[in-house]
Amino acid sequence: MNRTKADQILAWSRQGSLWPLTFALACCGVEMMGGSMPRYDQDRLGIIFRASPRQSDVMLVAGTVTNKMTPALRQLYDQMPDPKWVISMGSCSNGGGYYHYSYSVLRGVDRIVPVDIYIPGCPPTPEALLQGIFLLQRKIRRTPVTRMWYRR
Amino acid sequence: MSTILRTLRNLRRIGIKDYAHQMQNIGDTKAGTLIGIDRYGNKYFENMEEELPLRTRWVDYKTNWPEWDASQIEPGWHAWISYMVDAPPTTDKLMQTGHRAWELPEHRPNLTQTRGAFRTYSTTRPKYSAWIPVAAPR
Repeated sequence: MNRTKADQILAWSRQGSLWPLTFALACCGVEMMGGSMPRYDQDRLGIIFRASPRQSDVMLVAGTVTNKMTPALRQLYDQMPDPKWVISMGSCSNGGGYYHYSYSVLRGVDRIVPVDIYIPGCPPTPEALLQGIFLLQRKIRRTPVTRMWYRR
Repeated sequence: MSTILRTLRNLRRIGIKDYAHQMQNIGDTKAGTLIGIDRYGNKYFENMEEELPLRTRWVDYKTNWPEWDASQIEPGWHAWISYMVDAPPTTDKLMQTGHRAWELPEHRPNLTQTRGAFRTYSTTRPKYSAWIPVAAPR
């Protein structure tokens, strides 16, 4: 891992308080709510659900994204301030899942937004969601932001 | 939920150094008996009497926060810490059968986002072959 001190400070400040924009669309959303309940208690990790895209830095797409919802999702993603990440939760948002051959469902949320972490499962457990969040934090830690800026 | 009395009681048992280490890593003050240390160096603790259910077994990772990962726990210890078995691998007869030929010699954690990450590959022969187009000279 080639990171400068500035990168480490940046990663520390970013990973400590991931505020997700919840995008609960189906049964995955219920599991996502389960992650915030006392048993898995994501508040202890500094993860607080926000209802506004202006205040959040990670988008948690949980559930089936229909064609009708697609422009709304993209607009919310565009409203989020940089830096922003996207976690795709569940097989429906990963690649359409059960509704892959439906006429009205988007075949994977990565067709409209860049996805950082894919969480498999139908639906994934809150443990799987938490591991996805941990992997996103690891990705944030391993991103050499200032180093790449300096090289360019 | 932790109370002040519980924190002070466990602090008296484990000492200031372990207290700081635990607050940095697991965010709680816990005292228990050391059950074993796996080959990687993780320490496993147990306190069946005082802790709440499903919090009675815990691990102190060798790597410090935030680089530890649940996949660094070896399979036998994972079964123990997830309450699949009662006895830890140090005393369980089934866990001491040794390595099978198909097993990895050492436990490998989840290597995603590193150079050792799993990449899918195909083992089947391709069903078609492309030809190299040759243009006749004019």
